[in-house]
Amino acid sequence: MPRNNHSSRGQQQRRRRPQRHKDVLHTQGGHRANDFRCTSCRLDVSPDAPGTAHRNHCPNCLASLHVDRKTPGDRDADCRGRMEALGMSVRTDGEWMIIHQCTSCGELSANRIAGDDNPLALVRLALRPLADPKHAGRALITL
Amino acid sequence: MSSHTTTNNTLNLGTFACAWCGLTVSAYAADGAPRNHCPSCLHSRHVLDHVEGGPSDCEGRMSPIAIAVLRTGDWMVIHRCVRCDELTSNPVRTDDNQLILMRMAVRPLAQPPFPLEAFGTL
Repeated sequence: MPRNNHSSRGQQQRRRRPQRHKDVLHTQGGHRANDFRCTSCRLDVSPDAPGTAHRNHCPNCLASLHVDRKTPGDRDADCRGRMEALGMSVRTDGEWMIIHQCTSCGELSANRIAGDDNPLALVRLALRPLADPKHAGRALITL
Repeated sequence: MSSHTTTNNTLNLGTFACAWCGLTVSAYAADGAPRNHCPSCLHSRHVLDHVEGGPSDCEGRMSPIAIAVLRTGDWMVIHRCVRCDELTSNPVRTDDNQLILMRMAVRPLAQPPFPLEAFGTL
């Protein structure tokens, strides 16, 4: 039985056609050349995000990297520190903005959310002020 | 608005006028902590440069845009300068207007970018 099996596999290998040419390269310069790895959760993230021109935070854990100084995409900051999501702000047109704070230099920045951001992480961030019973309870009692 | 500005009467009287509602505010809260925003409308003024330190020459009005929570559980008000778009975070004082604080805290939930009903099934 095992000998039979072996011979049939040999015939299959002889009949197998040559491997197709791969036009997608996974190494440097391939289709993932511009990907970055999140400094917080180590997720590989592609730079094009639905809804925004500049992806600036990880869609899974919402962490960012301190590379831009004034305008998005200028790559002018030499800090390179990890930026953690601090709070959620809302623009007058109703769009959510994540407030990031750099963990190494303390700089703040506001970034638009992207279409593929983790909704659970976004809602957890938006609910963070209300989750704390000390301050929220005192505010509601005062009102 | 901090106490070590030399402009107008902050040093002499220990008060400043709010840039938005015009309320005359003492520069120190009741518990002695320095105050940098109006307790009534939570607006502030851009007098300190938080990136390079020292006084700022912007002097723009700073409007409150968000509530952030520290690891200690304390609330911080995030201000944005309407002139130069700089962001600062300042601790909440006990006599701040709780209505505006609460309104800022729940504002994201008023217009969520996705239906919140989906979280009931999680």
